[in-house]
Amino acid sequence: MKIRTMKLLIKEGTNNVIKNKLMSFASIMTVVATLFFLGIILLIAINITSNIEAMKRDLEITVFLNVNATNYQREEVVSFIEAKKEAGVITEYRNETKEQMYQNIKESLNDDSLLEGFSVDNAAESFYIKLADPNNSDEIITEISRFEGVNNNNGIGYGKEELDKLEGILKVFNYIVMAVLVVLMIVSIFLISNTIRLTVFARRHQIEIMKYVGALDSFIRWPFIVEGLLIGFIGAALSFFITSQAYQWLQGVINAILANLKLSTLRIMEFGPVAFRIFIIYSIFGIVIGGIGSLLSVRKHLNV
Amino acid sequence: MIRFVDATKVYSNGVIGLRNLTVRIEKGEFVFIIGASGSGKSTFLKLIMHEEVPTEGEVYVNGYSVHDMVQSEVPYLRRSLGVVFQDFRLLPNRTAYDNVAFAMQIVEATAREIRRQVPLALGLVGLSKKARAYPDQLSGGEQQRIVLARALVNNPAVLIADEPTGNLDPKTSIEIMNLLEEINQRGTTVVVATHEKSIVDTMKKRVITLERGELKSDVQKGSYFDEN
Ligand SMILES: Nc1ncnc2c1ncn2[C@@H]1O[C@H](COP(=O)(O)OP(=O)(O)OP(=O)(O)O)[C@@H](O)[C@H]1O
Ligand SMILES: [Mg+2]
Repeated sequence: MKIRTMKLLIKEGTNNVIKNKLMSFASIMTVVATLFFLGIILLIAINITSNIEAMKRDLEITVFLNVNATNYQREEVVSFIEAKKEAGVITEYRNETKEQMYQNIKESLNDDSLLEGFSVDNAAESFYIKLADPNNSDEIITEISRFEGVNNNNGIGYGKEELDKLEGILKVFNYIVMAVLVVLMIVSIFLISNTIRLTVFARRHQIEIMKYVGALDSFIRWPFIVEGLLIGFIGAALSFFITSQAYQWLQGVINAILANLKLSTLRIMEFGPVAFRIFIIYSIFGIVIGGIGSLLSVRKHLNV
Repeated sequence: MIRFVDATKVYSNGVIGLRNLTVRIEKGEFVFIIGASGSGKSTFLKLIMHEEVPTEGEVYVNGYSVHDMVQSEVPYLRRSLGVVFQDFRLLPNRTAYDNVAFAMQIVEATAREIRRQVPLALGLVGLSKKARAYPDQLSGGEQQRIVLARALVNNPAVLIADEPTGNLDPKTSIEIMNLLEEINQRGTTVVVATHEKSIVDTMKKRVITLERGELKSDVQKGSYFDEN
């Protein structure tokens, strides 16, 4: 196809969108709504994933020693942890001595009578270990539990399982969202194809004349396809703008709430770093929805 | 140029449009197709431009085997034809000039060719002054002239017209027919389906008469009287 013909066909398609104001507007709005929904879901998923990652990194393995652990047994555990830290598997750790534990309990109980019979000697020393990669936790826990001085009955704690469950739920959530999304996309495609059908109908005389004069099928089809693509893209751009505004507003509000609740590990991400990715996803979805919508209509109603 | 070989058209509802028609029209001829309403005139023209395909037999037009043609070839057959209808079929939202130019854009002519050819075509049909008018600002005769200009602008080998004067008064009809004759004299083959007895009688052209889909007569320098 020649350049001047392409220009002409793009112009025709653009004119269709403008002339068909009401239906174009309705179609663009469905694309906006579909993509807005897609974007919000996507951003929620991205945020949950990144927060789960952050929480995992923040998780500590708690290791309690036996109340009567010997100094030698204690040293064994410490040198193991130090070695792992050297190797970069453990990022940091801290320990709480018997005395500290006793003090902590004392403070939290706030009533000395309850402490009767409980002395520093009954308290246990504990270690809090942070891992570079939370996925190594099982290995470390197994190794550390082999030490004589470690309390194996209820001494080792780690919250990873809970987070893994959360991730499992997130996956199910993703599937449901995808199903809803597919339905919404079908609705958008249907609406766009309906808009194009109206244009085809409005221009049936012109199409007839074009056929008599010897227009190629592609020449007749392209303006309608351009129309669909344009509706899809305008919808995508508009939706992107609305999404970014809504997200940035929400981000401020939610982060303020989280800060108030002192949940400092949880954070809503900035929009900037994901903006380009979201824009590309929107454009692709918009163009695909628009393209399929018009192709369906053109094939069905143009009959060329 | 145009050749029907034992061509039959049966419509999907069983009505026979044409029956065993064999006829040959040479390059440069001017031919009237006449006959009562429903005799098959429009069917004849539709088979030429592949708007319908024959149920049986063969149709050859400008080197194309129209009876067995792949769909992608049809636009090229149409480009070798100029088509004119009783109801004009102009685009109402385009000027006379743009209606004619549209036919050239469709076949991907250059802007330069369009600027050269469109005024020539409008001049040929005597409507240079009305180039900027919209169809609803033109009389029926003027509109049909625009249609003629549109049909001619791509220099088709054959011009087919289905009752081109059906919506026009007698005086305008004669003007349009004279224009068709002029176009024919410039080398274009012209095939006209018509009911205009007086015009057919005075123009003394070849007359093909159809009756209930069959060829009734085919006379050089004929008239409506040859029917009887
Ligand atoms: N699309 C169609 N479907 C079914 N029958 C048709 C169709 N087109 C034409 N016919 C029938 O075929 C026959 C020939 O029709 P055609 O239109 O060729 O006649 P015509 O000579 O052009 O008539 P008129 O002078 O009224 O225009 C008629 O009986 C008509 O009813
Ligand atoms: Mg007819």
